[in-house]
Amino acid sequence: MGGDMKKRGRFRHVALALAVAALFASPAAAKKEARRDAPAAPSDPWPSTYRPLPRADMLITGATVLDGAGGRHDAADVLVRDGRVVAVGRNLDAVGVEVVDGRGKWVTPGIIDVHSHNGTFVVPLTSVDETGSDVTEISDPNAAETWIEHAVNAQDVAFSRALAGGVTTLQILPGSTTIIGGRSVILKNVPAVTMQGMKFPGAPQGVKLACGENPKLFYGGRGGAPNSRQGELAMFRAAFSAAQDYRERTRGNGPKGPRNLELETLAGVLSGDIRVQAHCYRADDMAVMLGLAREFDFRIAAFHHATEAYKIPALLREAGTCAAVWSDWWGFKVEAQDGIRENAPFVDAAGACAMMHSDSPQIGQRLTIEAAKAAGAGRRAGLTLPPETIIRWVTSNPAKAMGLGDRIGTLAPGYNADLVLWSGDPFSIYSHADRVYIDGALAYDRANLAYRPRSDFEIGRTGVSPR
Amino acid sequence: MKHLLAALAIFAALPAQAETVAIINARVWTMTAETPIENATIVARDGAIVSVAAGGAAPAGARLIDAAGRIVTPGLVNAATQLGLVEVSGARETNDQAVASGALGAAFDVQYALNANSTLIAQARADGVTEAMVYPAASASAPFQGRGALIHLKPDGDILDRAQAALFVRVGSGSSDKVGGSRAAQWQLIRNALDEARAPQGIDPRERLLGRLDRASLAPVLDRRIPMAIAAERESDIRQAIALAGDYGIRVVILGGAEAWRAKTELAAKRIPVILDPMLNLPYSFDQIGARLDNAALLSNAGVKIAFTVPGAGIHLSYNAGSALREGAGIAVANGLPYAAALRAITRSGAEIWGADDRQGSIAPGKAADLVIWDGDPLEPASGPAVVLIGGREVEDTSRQAALRARYAPGAEKPLPPAYQ
Repeated sequence: MGGDMKKRGRFRHVALALAVAALFASPAAAKKEARRDAPAAPSDPWPSTYRPLPRADMLITGATVLDGAGGRHDAADVLVRDGRVVAVGRNLDAVGVEVVDGRGKWVTPGIIDVHSHNGTFVVPLTSVDETGSDVTEISDPNAAETWIEHAVNAQDVAFSRALAGGVTTLQILPGSTTIIGGRSVILKNVPAVTMQGMKFPGAPQGVKLACGENPKLFYGGRGGAPNSRQGELAMFRAAFSAAQDYRERTRGNGPKGPRNLELETLAGVLSGDIRVQAHCYRADDMAVMLGLAREFDFRIAAFHHATEAYKIPALLREAGTCAAVWSDWWGFKVEAQDGIRENAPFVDAAGACAMMHSDSPQIGQRLTIEAAKAAGAGRRAGLTLPPETIIRWVTSNPAKAMGLGDRIGTLAPGYNADLVLWSGDPFSIYSHADRVYIDGALAYDRANLAYRPRSDFEIGRTGVSPR
Repeated sequence: MKHLLAALAIFAALPAQAETVAIINARVWTMTAETPIENATIVARDGAIVSVAAGGAAPAGARLIDAAGRIVTPGLVNAATQLGLVEVSGARETNDQAVASGALGAAFDVQYALNANSTLIAQARADGVTEAMVYPAASASAPFQGRGALIHLKPDGDILDRAQAALFVRVGSGSSDKVGGSRAAQWQLIRNALDEARAPQGIDPRERLLGRLDRASLAPVLDRRIPMAIAAERESDIRQAIALAGDYGIRVVILGGAEAWRAKTELAAKRIPVILDPMLNLPYSFDQIGARLDNAALLSNAGVKIAFTVPGAGIHLSYNAGSALREGAGIAVANGLPYAAALRAITRSGAEIWGADDRQGSIAPGKAADLVIWDGDPLEPASGPAVVLIGGREVEDTSRQAALRARYAPGAEKPLPPAYQ
């Protein structure tokens, strides 16, 4: 059992060594240049087709509300109209709305997973995934021209599992075999038949970068580049330098020359339109990447995994860069040896931005428990953080890191009514998400089979657990 | 003079076992009852439990440890882990849990690789694990994995508790390629191996598949001295395991058992225990289509003995062998398993399944004084151990995480770099 588990967990990082590059070999020029002298690209060829599920105005009454902005409201009401939060407070009055009794329950903003591979790392994993996985396009260490949204499998059972855990928004990221993994996408966790049906309208794209062991082990293992950390940085600097030139060339009204999909993504980083999500573990690697960002005048929105973030919290704070971390994954790689459970609370204590992330369809069902474990370790280390603080690690902090801090992750007037009604303290292992709302519409109801969605994969199979 | 001698005795280098310790004001889950004992006193002497009673008096001269109303449980027993064999899973040479080639199949024996100084052992001990079954991942001769060993996480000295405590085999889609591509071959090879071990003289030596070492490894399985642990997830494989137990009269333990709930009646009737992952509700392989979070509850309520193991993408398996066990038990309770049964699944049941329950897994006279005083509900992941005792002595947290935590804890800026702390 151990070997299988290790394989499935580290599939995309290690087992993909079996990938046959020849399967994806294509002339570099053809891969990166769409057409000669292309006109300006359409603004979004894959726009969201998301429509809110059926909804009614509602008033949740008498609950313990954690608003994601650092506030806790006891015996409080939450008023929702037209899919937006109108108010959070005591004794709210609203005529003609559906009343949901929240007494004895807790309400939080919908949980946000800032690092998910749902839809691309799709269980069941099979030998098909060994030779060609959708987690990352690995035919070249720079896959900036790829967009992960083109691979999302909307029938991944992991989505509804996460929904049952209160997750309303996910950032799907490419993996970390490549130094640049491609563009990420933000999805609302509504059941849909297409990726566009889940796509968060108007959400900014991100791009995944990776430093450290993964790229150099994979490409170096094939006798290719990069095979060292310095090689990775050189590759980054060459890529961003070319992006600077491309940006100059394609600005203004003159002839723009051939369109280059890879440089288009990196130019978007330079202009600030595309947010950078960087996979790094070690403190020294993160410090070097911050220098890269400084050289090319962009900001890293968040370091992901960042098992040593606790060693450089001031650096992160000064750079305005968040850390998306696990509560207790450590030691499984050389660069993860120094992971500690107090990572998030120590980062938080220094005034830097801490977030819990999953990188796993299993953890992705229990992000509030991740926060609870981290906070528990912090408490034993002398930092007692109240629930209204730690909820931010899985709501407003990820929302900000994804560029949606004014729309989700907080229960305040004007925010999208993405919220979870919990059976009890969301940081208790015994609590459940009783109801999950997205844009004010009921998306999941633990007590009502009609609102417990199942993906197509799950139906019609003997052996699947009955509902 | 008597007082002076007594005082000198206290400060002399006494062996740990000579001490009498009394834990007072404890809320004790003994694992011999369905409810805890309130306001209890646990007395331990020479490293073993002497008594546990509500409102019991502490013996004169006993060193007192005040539990202050907190919950006390036996030390955690991880029923299936690779603690002591794994250091950095991404760096293969640091790991000893498997062999891919060579002469050792069923005979592969992990006892010789156990590393008491592993950073993972220190972490597990700090997390309250006092006993564990350490099992091999693979041998040179699939479907056999080899022989597992029980370890006792003592802070000094040899952690090996009992070698060759069980024989492990693995069936299913994850490893069928090693036998040519079909799980049918896995079962045929297991049956043939038992046939050869049972009556070697009846088979022409030239036609035997097993060598001398592997055949010898199966002897204690055939005479029921040790169980055969079968790692299986799919219902069909679990039913094959049940049939195997019946056909050969051997003791079988299911390891994994994602779909075991579908055979719960038969497993209970044949008294076959299941060591399962209480966090598993995703079909990572086609063998786990039936994975569900109430697997533990369904099995336990049907009378199957259950214990927990938590792979957690391979990371919880050994790196968080204690904390993940508790989290998994909490998830099981949240999905219908009674609290007492969940505690048992991470203490007594693992000890019973592997035959370590004479000393481990419960708080009762004669058992090892391996105990944990928790700072809250042990099944709440936000809780942790307040005090861990092994052999009646508090063990210090010597983990790397504790050292790094101390070095990097927020506080006043220090004049020298962290390396000086």
